[in-house]
Amino acid sequence: MAVLREEERYAFDLVRDLAEMDGLVISEGTIYPMLARLRRDGLVETTWRESPTGPPRRYYRLSARGRKALREFRNEWSIFRDAVDGLITQEENDG
Amino acid sequence: MARGTVERYLHELDEELQDLPSSRRRELLEEIREHIGSALDRAPSHEEAEIRNVLERIGDPAEIAEEARERFGIQRAKPGLRETLALVLLPVGGVIVPVLGWLVGALLLLSSRVWTAKEKAIGVLLLPGGLLPAAGMGLAADRTCSSIEVNGVVTRQICSGGIDPVAAWAILAVLVAVPIWTTWFLASRMRRRS
Repeated sequence: MAVLREEERYAFDLVRDLAEMDGLVISEGTIYPMLARLRRDGLVETTWRESPTGPPRRYYRLSARGRKALREFRNEWSIFRDAVDGLITQEENDG
Repeated sequence: MARGTVERYLHELDEELQDLPSSRRRELLEEIREHIGSALDRAPSHEEAEIRNVLERIGDPAEIAEEARERFGIQRAKPGLRETLALVLLPVGGVIVPVLGWLVGALLLLSSRVWTAKEKAIGVLLLPGGLLPAAGMGLAADRTCSSIEVNGVVTRQICSGGIDPVAAWAILAVLVAVPIWTTWFLASRMRRRS
């Protein structure tokens, strides 16, 4: 979802980028069920846009609810990250 | 040839997605079809190797289906008592309780979630009745054929039905082989999914 933070994305580019991300070992095809689930939960929306070449293209973007969920997750994540960082530095100091 | 590879892939994916509600299934299939289209637009030579690369990046249909089931909390249909009963009743049910036994088997087959629509059609339509037509033919042959015995040894068979005995045997063989093959076919498809 963070990938959709700034702008709406063409479904194909979005999926290619997600599949190529470091640390995530997933095939392109398995991303579509994830997107479908996010869409069913109302966190992302799709729209069709005309393409200069070829048929219209499907674009994904965050919905208002998706934006809110992402904000909340980032807050939680930074709290979690700070806690882990704290633990690691503490261990380093102790060791 | 290129189109064939893509269609085969999508067909396989469609079969794997059969546990999903049809709207989700259609939606996923449509998006992956678009994805393949977009990928091929960027790789304009459309050679077989290129298509295979595109499909490989998208991944194994079974894996995509597994992910989809997980995302939507759907249990994979597992073969159970219904499927076992269907596999028994389809070939022999009609012989034990004429017609009705087979009919129950057919209903069990049609209501199962383990087989695809095409497999169900083969199971029901290829030889309705299972082994019943073969059994019926065997009885009819008994009634119309009489043997001439000389000193207890059968020397000649006379069939009043007018069917050449060789042809009758051939038909009988087909009537026996087809239900057995159908049962084997359904069982092997079922095993693949358990």
